[in-house]
Amino acid sequence: MTTATRVNREAGHQPASRRRRRGGGIWKVALLFLAPTVILLFVLRVIPTIGAVIESFQRSASRLAPPRFVGFDNYVDLFSDGDFAKVLGVTGLFIVIIIPFQVAIAVLLAVLLNERFPGLGVVRVFIFVPVAAPAAVATVIWGVAFQPQGPINAVLEAVGLPGQPFLTSPDQALLSIIILMSWIGIGYWTLFLVAGLQDIPIELYEAASIDGAGWWRCFFSITLPNLRRTLSFVIVANTVASLIAFVPIAILTKGGPADSTRLIMFDTYNNTFVLGDVNLGQAEVTILLIALIAITALQFRLLGKEKS
Amino acid sequence: MRKHYRYIAVAVAAASIIGLTACSGGGSGDGDGPATITLLTADPQKNLQPAIDGFEKANPDITVEYEYVPFDQYNNLIEQRIGSQDPGVDVYAVDSGAVGALASKGYLVDLTDDFADKVSKGSLPATSEANTFDGKLWSVPMWTSMQYLYYNKDLLDAAGIPYPSQNLDEAPTYQQLLEDGKKAQAAGATWGLLFDQINRYYQLQPIMESAGGGSGVTGDDLLTADINNTGWVDAMDWYSKLFADGVAPRGVATEQLPVLFSTGQAAYIVSGPWQATTNAAEGKVNYGIAANPVWENGTPAMSTGSWNLGINPATDNLEASKKLVDYLGLTKDGNSLAASVLGIAPTFSESFDDFVGGLDDRDAPNTAGMGALTSDELNNIAVNRPNSPGFTQMADVTGRAFEDIRNGQDVKGTLDKAQDELQGLWDRLK
Repeated sequence: MTTATRVNREAGHQPASRRRRRGGGIWKVALLFLAPTVILLFVLRVIPTIGAVIESFQRSASRLAPPRFVGFDNYVDLFSDGDFAKVLGVTGLFIVIIIPFQVAIAVLLAVLLNERFPGLGVVRVFIFVPVAAPAAVATVIWGVAFQPQGPINAVLEAVGLPGQPFLTSPDQALLSIIILMSWIGIGYWTLFLVAGLQDIPIELYEAASIDGAGWWRCFFSITLPNLRRTLSFVIVANTVASLIAFVPIAILTKGGPADSTRLIMFDTYNNTFVLGDVNLGQAEVTILLIALIAITALQFRLLGKEKS
Repeated sequence: MRKHYRYIAVAVAAASIIGLTACSGGGSGDGDGPATITLLTADPQKNLQPAIDGFEKANPDITVEYEYVPFDQYNNLIEQRIGSQDPGVDVYAVDSGAVGALASKGYLVDLTDDFADKVSKGSLPATSEANTFDGKLWSVPMWTSMQYLYYNKDLLDAAGIPYPSQNLDEAPTYQQLLEDGKKAQAAGATWGLLFDQINRYYQLQPIMESAGGGSGVTGDDLLTADINNTGWVDAMDWYSKLFADGVAPRGVATEQLPVLFSTGQAAYIVSGPWQATTNAAEGKVNYGIAANPVWENGTPAMSTGSWNLGINPATDNLEASKKLVDYLGLTKDGNSLAASVLGIAPTFSESFDDFVGGLDDRDAPNTAGMGALTSDELNNIAVNRPNSPGFTQMADVTGRAFEDIRNGQDVKGTLDKAQDELQGLWDRLK
């Protein structure tokens, strides 16, 4: 009999009242340790969220003026305005493109980095260095690169291709922002996926190899199924990060040209802080919150079903 | 239980002490004792440092802390800090045109009793109106502005284009400048015609005014938008061609444009007196100064107004703040020092006279005739930004519309959309 078993059995013979007291003590200790986090979460997350929802049903001339209850008027104003419909459309298009693009490239890079080949260290550096660059700095650098008279067009013209308008064209601006954000984001998500790949037992690949499975068969039958938990985290976290994308828009395009990069987070910021319409901004925050909860729940549900 | 009460009592006492300490942090600015006040502006500290030094010397009990926020973030920050009653800001710079919007939100102290008389007697006439909303004075003028047409003599000589005139009656037209800009480019200029603030209402308002489109604001409450009338469409058609024909660049940030002229890459730029300071610092361009352009067969118009000074209602240092506002805006020494580094026009009449008197020598011989031209323009063709309570919305919506037109969007469609958006935002203010 091991010591642990003996202790457990002895504990099993203790009077019920004593166990309850000990059990209560553990709960108190747990509560004590959890309290700082719970209090901070409540103060910094729950209360502002409740405040945002309440303010979305109010209207005031300014932050200093007393608010009045207006029911769903702010929501009606938003949805009866064609511009907000366009904001939702642009945000939806952005999410539909950027998430699969970033995740697919990140998976490929993670698989590549999990192999051993000459120059692996250099490739790793190139992939991970953008992660270390502050988003604002990376944005400014890309902003210069995307200028019509910038270095990218200089290269294009040097090889005989026409210069592109990039951020000054409604047809190219969103794509340019996606490229910029992917330059930063792909390396970041790759880090998680590499860690996920290294958790897959090597024996599975050895057994598959003995059975004659090729690289693609191993990838679809071993790698992807075993990477599902990491992938679900990456997809959900990437969706949330993309829905609240703000820095490149605020620095480079201010939502233009022709509202082609007006994502919901920038629109919320603009309404709240530039135009000073806090209540309209809070209505957008509430809509964004509902969308985030719905998308995240759906993604978890789909991934859960796949698992079962 | 009694032990718990003791803990609570200690905590309450500690919180009270912390609270009292925080309250007393700014000094006793409402009396005659020492005080520290914070000045928030959209200009780097070096631009106002001589004036702050002068103020602290004249008021040894008051220390001025300086906070600088770039223009693009400035109005957002005002909304956040003044709107949340942050006493960390005492005095802040108020943009012309934003006075009505800030006053109607309760973001400014009413300065009528303290300074209205002094402003009307001591400052330039137009500045009193620009700082007044609803019959009250909400801020004190510090700077004003005017616009000139700067031209690169070498590039114009190469293209065989005559120099434009300083006489307002012979001011160059926007239409002619577009053609001359193309000629200059054909003769070697990288860019034909630039504007200092190429996508901002301040800079472009005179084009619409000159083309007969007005300021874009109508109605007794100044909350009815009129930014898609014929004058606006004509002016924006011209503006659109400027970029479609490659006479001015797309995709280049506003802050980078003055340097394109001062480094000799552009034939013309419409800009304020600060452009002469930039040109002198670079020392690379042989240039002259002419009258602000006018619309063909239109009414002459030129942007004016600049930064004023207001006081945060949440200040703990009201009297010290008033002293700073008074010194920077309404004394000859203070107002002259406040404008000296940037080279912008001070608004206190005596300071302004000195400023105009020194303009011709600012970057001689390039700036010859600048003083007389300044007086002519301010007295005859200056237009203020509309003091609408919805100016913030107007600046945002028109700024995006200008940028879209710059990038090649259809002029009428863009202005129609901007008109609807602006009116929708203004209806929420009514």
